[in-house]
Amino acid sequence: MLISTRWLSRHVDLGGLAPEEIAESLTLSTAEVEGTSTFAPHLDQVRVGFVQAREPHPDADKLSICTVDVGGAEPLQIVCGAPNVDAGQKVAVAEVGCVLPGDFKIKKAKIRGAASAGMICSVRELDLGDEHDGIWVLDADAPVGVGVAEALDLRDTVIEIDNKSLTHRPDLWGHRGIAGELAAIHDRELLPLDLSLPPTGDGRPVAVRIESEACSRYVALAVDGVRQGPSPDWLRMLLLAVGQRPLDLLVDLSNFVMLDLGQPNHLFDRGRLAGEGIVVRMARPGERTTTLDGEERALGEEDLLICSGDEPVALAGIMGGEGSKVLDGTTELLLEVARFDPVTVRRSAIRLGLRSDASARFEKGLDPALPMEAAAHLVRTLSSIQPQVSLPSPPTDEGSWSDQACEVELRAERVRRLLGLDLSDEEIAGGLRRLQFGVSTGAREGVLRVAVPSRRAGKDVALEEDLVEEVGRIVGYERIPVRSLTGEIAPPPYDGRRELTRVIQDRLSGGARFHEVLSYSFLSDELLATLGLDELPHVRLANPVCEGEHNVRRSLVPGLLAMVEQNRRRREDVRLFEVGEAYLPEHENERGEPREVHEVGLVWACVPSGADARFDAGCFCGLQGVVEDLLAFAGYDAPTWEAWAGERSKAWAHPRRALRASLPDGDGGQREVGLVAALEPGLHRSLGLADELASDVAVARLDLDGLLACAPRTGGYRPIPRYPATKLDVALALDATVGVDACVAAIERCGKGLVASCELFDVFCGESVGAGRRSLAFHVLLASPERTLGEADGRKFLRRLERAAADLGGELRSE
Amino acid sequence: MEERIGQLGTEARGRIEGAADAEALKTIERELLGKQGVLAEVLASIPGLEPAERPLVGRLANELKCELLGSLAARREALDQERLATDRACDDFDPTLPARRAVRGSLHPITRVRRKVEDVFTSMGYSILEGPQVELDYYNFQALNIPADHPAREMQDTFYCTGGGNLVMRTHTSPVQVRTMERAEPPYRVVSVGRVFRKEEQDATHDHTFHQVEGLVVGEDVTAGHLIGTLRALLARLFGRELDTRLRPGYFPFVEPGFELDVRCPFCEDGCRVCSRTTWIEFCGLGMVHPRVFAASDVDAERYTGFAFGFGLDRLTMMLLGIDDVRHFMAGDLRFLEQF
Ligand SMILES: [Zn+2]
Repeated sequence: MLISTRWLSRHVDLGGLAPEEIAESLTLSTAEVEGTSTFAPHLDQVRVGFVQAREPHPDADKLSICTVDVGGAEPLQIVCGAPNVDAGQKVAVAEVGCVLPGDFKIKKAKIRGAASAGMICSVRELDLGDEHDGIWVLDADAPVGVGVAEALDLRDTVIEIDNKSLTHRPDLWGHRGIAGELAAIHDRELLPLDLSLPPTGDGRPVAVRIESEACSRYVALAVDGVRQGPSPDWLRMLLLAVGQRPLDLLVDLSNFVMLDLGQPNHLFDRGRLAGEGIVVRMARPGERTTTLDGEERALGEEDLLICSGDEPVALAGIMGGEGSKVLDGTTELLLEVARFDPVTVRRSAIRLGLRSDASARFEKGLDPALPMEAAAHLVRTLSSIQPQVSLPSPPTDEGSWSDQACEVELRAERVRRLLGLDLSDEEIAGGLRRLQFGVSTGAREGVLRVAVPSRRAGKDVALEEDLVEEVGRIVGYERIPVRSLTGEIAPPPYDGRRELTRVIQDRLSGGARFHEVLSYSFLSDELLATLGLDELPHVRLANPVCEGEHNVRRSLVPGLLAMVEQNRRRREDVRLFEVGEAYLPEHENERGEPREVHEVGLVWACVPSGADARFDAGCFCGLQGVVEDLLAFAGYDAPTWEAWAGERSKAWAHPRRALRASLPDGDGGQREVGLVAALEPGLHRSLGLADELASDVAVARLDLDGLLACAPRTGGYRPIPRYPATKLDVALALDATVGVDACVAAIERCGKGLVASCELFDVFCGESVGAGRRSLAFHVLLASPERTLGEADGRKFLRRLERAAADLGGELRSE
Repeated sequence: MEERIGQLGTEARGRIEGAADAEALKTIERELLGKQGVLAEVLASIPGLEPAERPLVGRLANELKCELLGSLAARREALDQERLATDRACDDFDPTLPARRAVRGSLHPITRVRRKVEDVFTSMGYSILEGPQVELDYYNFQALNIPADHPAREMQDTFYCTGGGNLVMRTHTSPVQVRTMERAEPPYRVVSVGRVFRKEEQDATHDHTFHQVEGLVVGEDVTAGHLIGTLRALLARLFGRELDTRLRPGYFPFVEPGFELDVRCPFCEDGCRVCSRTTWIEFCGLGMVHPRVFAASDVDAERYTGFAFGFGLDRLTMMLLGIDDVRHFMAGDLRFLEQF
C-alpha cells in the first residue's frame, strides 16, 4: 500500500519529521515499510512561467509563438501547439536540459523556422494524467520562476508499506489509520474529521433488501445534482502520489474515500438502475454479469451480488457492473457503503481472478461501524467541491451488525512479565491512551480497564496479550533488555536417529566419495510408471504444482534415480545419496496419519568397466563395500548378505543381481536393514542411461528405523598379534557353481584356527581351468596367538586344503 | 708382516677418504673388513707366523680394524651430510606445480548449515525434533490459532492431501510446537528443523519445498528479553561476531505479541545487495506463545510463559555461503554440490 506523506498531513501535523524518520518509525512500531520514493521528482525542475505574449506562428496555423517569463533575466521564446495557450496564463515550463518522464529531454529547437527554448507542458507530459488536449494552466497566483512542486505545494514522499504486515490491521488500510499510528508514535494530535452526515431531504429512502448473511451492513444513499467532470488538482495530485490514475470526479472521489478511511464504496448512476430497490443476494448457478472492465463473468453460488431488482449490478466488494457505472452525464447517484464477509469476498476474488483494492480491504474484515462514516465523508468531500449537490432522502442502513467496541482488562504485571520490561502502570496507561484506547484505573490495584474502539476490536484486539503488544510497540521494543535464559532444564534426550544420520552423512560424503542431495518429496506419475512403481499406494496431493506430480515419496530411490542422467552427461562417475523421510499410506494410524519411515538412498552410476577388469570392479560390488563400511563405521557387526527374492515395491532392482543385508536385532533374531542391487536392466534406457551414456548402475536403500532397532557390534577390540603372521596365496579351481563362501569355509577349516584373514583377490575363468569351472585366488594370513609359525605349519595347511579342494570336486592350484 | 699391515692401513685410509657415496663405502668395507676381506686374510695368516711375532701382528691388525671402523663411520656421516646439504640446496623444485586433488564426496550445504544451527541450540540445552511432513490439519492450522477461514489456508498456499481432507503437507515447522506441548511438561526448550511446503511459483528466491528452523521455549519466567538474547546468541555463533538486532511488530496467528527480528547486515557498512541497501536483514519471525495455542495443549498460561521463533534455513544458507538461487538446493546438480 502506498501512503502519501502530504496526504497524511491532512490528518496529523508531522512537522519536523523527515520522511525517512516517519518511515522508520512506522517500521519499528506499526508495519513494515518497504521503501520510500519522491512523487514526481521532475516537478522540481519544471518552473512556473507567465505567458507575456502569444503570436500566431507565421508558417503554421496551429502553432503559437509565446513569450514566457520564467523568472530569468530575459523571457524565453517558446513555440507551443496547444489550442488553449494564451497570454496572461501561468503555465508549467520545461526549459532546455530538463528531463521529463519517459526520458524525454528538452532541447533547443527550431520549429518551422521559429526558435523554441523549452516546452509549455500538458498534464500528460508531466505524467499527471491522461489529458493532452491542451497545456496545463496553473493558478493565477502561482509564483513565477519557482519550481512547480514548490509553487503548488506538491512536494511529497510516498511510503510503501508491505501489505502482508497489515493483514491483521483492517483499520490501517487508509491514510487516516496510518496517521493515527503516527500521532500515537510521535505523541501528536490526530486532527478532527467531521464524519457526520449532512442534513438530508425527506424523500423516500432507497429500498434495500439483504438476502445473504455475507452482507452484514449496507448503507445506501441517494445524491442529486452532481456535475461529472475532472477532479480538482488537489484531489488528482493526492491520487497520483499513491499510484492511482485520476479518471473523473466521481471515480476519483470513491477512491479517495477508500484510500483515506480504508472503506471501499461504490457509486451507481441511479438513473441506470432499472429495478425496484437494491437486493443483496448470492448468485444463482450459471448466472452471468458484465463487470465495469467490460469482461463477462460466469458466477457461482458462492459469489455475492448486488442487484437492482433482480438484475446484477455489481460483484459485492469486488467490482461494479458495466450497466450501472457512472458516466459523463451522470447527475443522480446511489452511494453504496457496505460490509461484506471477508471469506466470501476473498474466495470470489480469487476464483474470478479479480483481486481489487476494494476486495483486499474487505478480505481483512472491516469495522462494521465504518460505512456510515465513510458515506458522510464522501458526501462532505463532494459538497466541498460541488456545493450544489443535495441528499434527497435519508440514508438506508440495513443489516445485522453491532459496534464491536469492547472492554479488556489488562494487568500491568502481565505486560512486564511478557515483555521482560519494567514499565510503570502510568507508562502502560499512557501508551494505550496515545493509541486512542480508553483507559481507566483504580478499580483494582494494577489492573487497567481498557476500552477498545470498534475499529480495533474484533480479531485485532480482544485479549490481554493483544494489549501487551500495543503497549510494547508504542513504548518501543528497543527498550526491552536483552537477557540469557537461565533455569533448570533437563539435558536433551539421546537422539539415536540424528546421531546415526550424521555418521552416515559424514562417512558417505568423505571416503566413500558420495555427494549428498536433497530431492523433492513429490514424484510424478510418469516417473513412477517408468520405474514400475505406479501401482503402489502413495499419499497424494489434491492440488499439486503441476499435473501428475502429486505422489508423496514412499522411498528416496526414485528421486535419486531421476537425478542420475543430467549428472552422467558431465561426469563419468556419479555417486549420490540422500537421507530423508518417506510416507507409507497403507500403514496409517488411528488419526489417519501415514507411517513415516526414514531411509538412506544411494545411487552409483559410472562408465562400465572393461572385460579384463577385476571381478569386483563394478558399481555393485563397490556399493556393497560402501554399505559394509558404513555399517562397520556406524558400530554394527558385518551384515549377513543373502540373495534377494524380489519385491514389487523395489521394481528398480535387478531380479538376480541383488543382495539384502540383515543384522542381529538383539533378541536373537535377524532384521533386514537394506538392499544393494544392480539397476533393473530394463530401466537403463528409460532413465537415459543407454547408448553414449551407457552406465553401470547400482542402487542401495538402507532402512534407518531398522538399523536403530538392531544391536550394536558385539566384539569390539581384537588384540594385535604378538607373533608374526605367515602370508600364503592359494588358488582353488572348482566348478563355477561352488560359492566363494564354501571356499572360505574350507580354508578356515583347514587352518584349524590359524586363519587370521582370507581375502579373495582374483576370479579367473579360462581354458586352462576348464569349461564350467573357475579359479578363485585368495590371500590367506595364518597366525597364532601363542608362537611364531614355521614353514611346517604352512605345508600342513596346504596339504589339508588340497584334500578339501578335492572334496569340493576341484583342485588346489600351485601358485 | 708389520710392514704389510702398515701398507694396508695407508691404502685403506686412502680408499675410504676417496669413496664417492654410501654404496662405494659399503664395497670398501666389505673388501677390507668382510669375511673374505684383506684384514680377515691377515688374521687368518697369524697361526702360520713365528710364535714371537703373533701377538704383535694380532694387536696391530686389531688396532687397524678399530681405526678403519671409525673412519668408515666418519666418512659415512660426512657423505650423509653432503647428501642432505645437496637436497636442501636443490634447485629443481617448481612451486607452481598443482597439488594432487584429494577426492571426496560432499555434504549438502543445507546439511552443513543445519548442523551449525542444531549445534548452537543443543549447546544451549535445546532438544532437536523433526515432526512429520505429512501433517494433520489440526496441528498445522487449528491448534496454532489459524481457523478454517484464515487466508493462509487457501488452496494456493497449502498442499492438501486427498482423502479425508485432514492431511496437509506442513506449511511450517510450527506444528512441532503443539506436538511438544501436548507431550511434555514445562519447562522445555525445543528446536525443530525440517522440510516445509508451500504452493509457490518457483523462482530464484522461492521454491515449493524449503527448510525451516522453529524454536519453542516454555517456562515460568520466559520473556521477550530472553527471546532476543537467544537469537542474538545464535546469530553471533553463525556469523562469528556479535551483530546488532532490532525487534519490530510482526503478525503470526500463533504468537502475541508477535515480532520480526532484523539483523544488522554482516556483509556491509552502508548497504549492499544482500540487505537490499537497507543495512538490515529480515531474519526471523517470533513472538510470545499465544494464549489460545497454550489452551489448545492444556498448558497453564497463567503459570507459564513461552516464546517461539522460526526462520528459513535455505535463505540463511544462501546468505552464509553466498548462493544466489534457491533452486540449486533441490536440483541435484554435481556442479553445485561438489563446491561444498
Ligand atoms: Zn548489506
